[in-house]
Amino acid sequence: MIRIVPKEEFCIGCRLCEIHCIVEHSKSKNIVKAYKKENRPIKRVEVEEEGHVSFALQCRHCEEAPCITACLSGAMQRDAESGAVINDPERCVGCWTCILVCPYGAVRRDEAERKVVGKCDLCPDLETPACVANCPNEALVIVED
Amino acid sequence: MAIYDYAIVGNSAAAINACDAIRARDAVGSIAIFSEEKYRCYSRPLISYLVAGEITTQGMYYRPSNYYRSAKVDFHKESRVVSINPAKKMLTTAGKEKVKWRKLLLATGFLPFVPPVNGVEETDYLTFVSWDDARRMLALTNKPAAALVVGAGLIGVKAAEALHARGAEVTVVEKMDRVLPLALDARASALVEERCSAKGIGIITGESVSGVESRGGHKGRAFLSDGSEIDFDILVMAVGVRPRTELAEAAGIDCRRGIEVDEYQSTSEMDIYAAGDAAIALDVVLGKPALNALWPVAALQGKYAGLNMAGDEVSYPGCNSMNSVEFFGLPVLSAGIVNPEGSDYEVITREDGDGEYRKVVVKGDTLVGMLMAGKIERAGILTSLIQERANVKRIKSCLLDEGFGLINFPHAIRQDRIVEALAGLKKADAVRGRRG
Repeated sequence: MIRIVPKEEFCIGCRLCEIHCIVEHSKSKNIVKAYKKENRPIKRVEVEEEGHVSFALQCRHCEEAPCITACLSGAMQRDAESGAVINDPERCVGCWTCILVCPYGAVRRDEAERKVVGKCDLCPDLETPACVANCPNEALVIVED
Repeated sequence: MAIYDYAIVGNSAAAINACDAIRARDAVGSIAIFSEEKYRCYSRPLISYLVAGEITTQGMYYRPSNYYRSAKVDFHKESRVVSINPAKKMLTTAGKEKVKWRKLLLATGFLPFVPPVNGVEETDYLTFVSWDDARRMLALTNKPAAALVVGAGLIGVKAAEALHARGAEVTVVEKMDRVLPLALDARASALVEERCSAKGIGIITGESVSGVESRGGHKGRAFLSDGSEIDFDILVMAVGVRPRTELAEAAGIDCRRGIEVDEYQSTSEMDIYAAGDAAIALDVVLGKPALNALWPVAALQGKYAGLNMAGDEVSYPGCNSMNSVEFFGLPVLSAGIVNPEGSDYEVITREDGDGEYRKVVVKGDTLVGMLMAGKIERAGILTSLIQERANVKRIKSCLLDEGFGLINFPHAIRQDRIVEALAGLKKADAVRGRRG
């Protein structure tokens, strides 16, 4: 499977990854519509910043994923094909237990439509995830097993 | 007589996660699951969502409908195990079926504890821990009803919320001086009480029910310790839960409050394991075994029990008292110690209005507890620091800051963490960036 690795020495804190993540997960995949006309999706990557240091962080798709074990409804599962940790919004009840246990703080509330959580899904429709593809300084890279 | 490589008593979080772990290691060993209920594995904590109409019955199931078949499990439903014989490695069900096992897991869960209140046994009261309980509650709330909930723990408050969603007029009586006295601290309890009161739920704290007078069926009148009386159409007893240890105890397995287990989830009897709400296992914050009757804890114990039953030798890492609940739109997350007693603890709180309240509890240089109400984003970072007993000396002052995250960790630790989850990938050679 693919994994996204942040390179903090290259991150310039521009947050383009957040913007492209939001657009990719919007209904229209159009930046203007996504920001102005539709229910704006949550960002599934977050730039952390302190002084001159910054990096972008999203779900690590952990080998031993605490969110999968802790999930009350069984919505959080590992996708057998891609190996990614995926939340099924149809089965998610919004109990926030995954938010309670994620060591990376990479799961967020997504209440735009229904009360569920959202997280990085590695952009299944794209060859390269939007955050990686749009990072202007290669501060997000893909590692493949 | 059937002989199973693995027999599992119970069909909830611990049982299913054990089953998954066994199958991940052993594709062919025979597995049997015994459940006294008629349902496929469902998520017990979701019964309040079901009653409130937030999910359908389909949403109750923890695994897909073909789960048992695809995992090659013999599912014995409505098959209560009444005794186990460790010497013969044999169990007997209520239907007189006898089955032998090579490894046995006791994932027997808990039962509601109903105190011996005068007259309560003559009243057709409800508990609120199973799907059948939820069905009864749904049936009883088809017409307007006055509901009395005794006990304002997690089960009691969620029952009150569900009853309210069904249009019932709800009163909650709690013996302690506030709701959720164990799971929350006083401030967070007050926030939950405010929400409940705003919805018209009556909250009576510091009083207990001293007696009940049945008026036939579900109806009756409760007498409170202050002399007042409350008439009810529905009585919900939610005072507490007790681990189900009776099978283990009758078989001579060591129990002290719960079924005792070692770090491999193994009981005092060879080849018998225990996990979940019935087992008493390591709480890393307390540094000793404790009962944490919580879904995520049960699931994790089940997983480790399963791995060890299938021949691995892996220690259960321990857990802590973690809760994630939402009451009338107010999410409240907590982990570890939220009500510290004594002078060894440092407590830092932060309040941003509109129900946003956060707190951390530090002992020496170790984070031992956290609570977040209203604003819960990234709570898991704190939970993981608690769980790992990490030294937080250098970041103590910024734990509740806006934007607190892995950025506040020392560089080397942060790098380790971010790459840690990518086990074995440190030396990965195929790296591609934006330009492929």
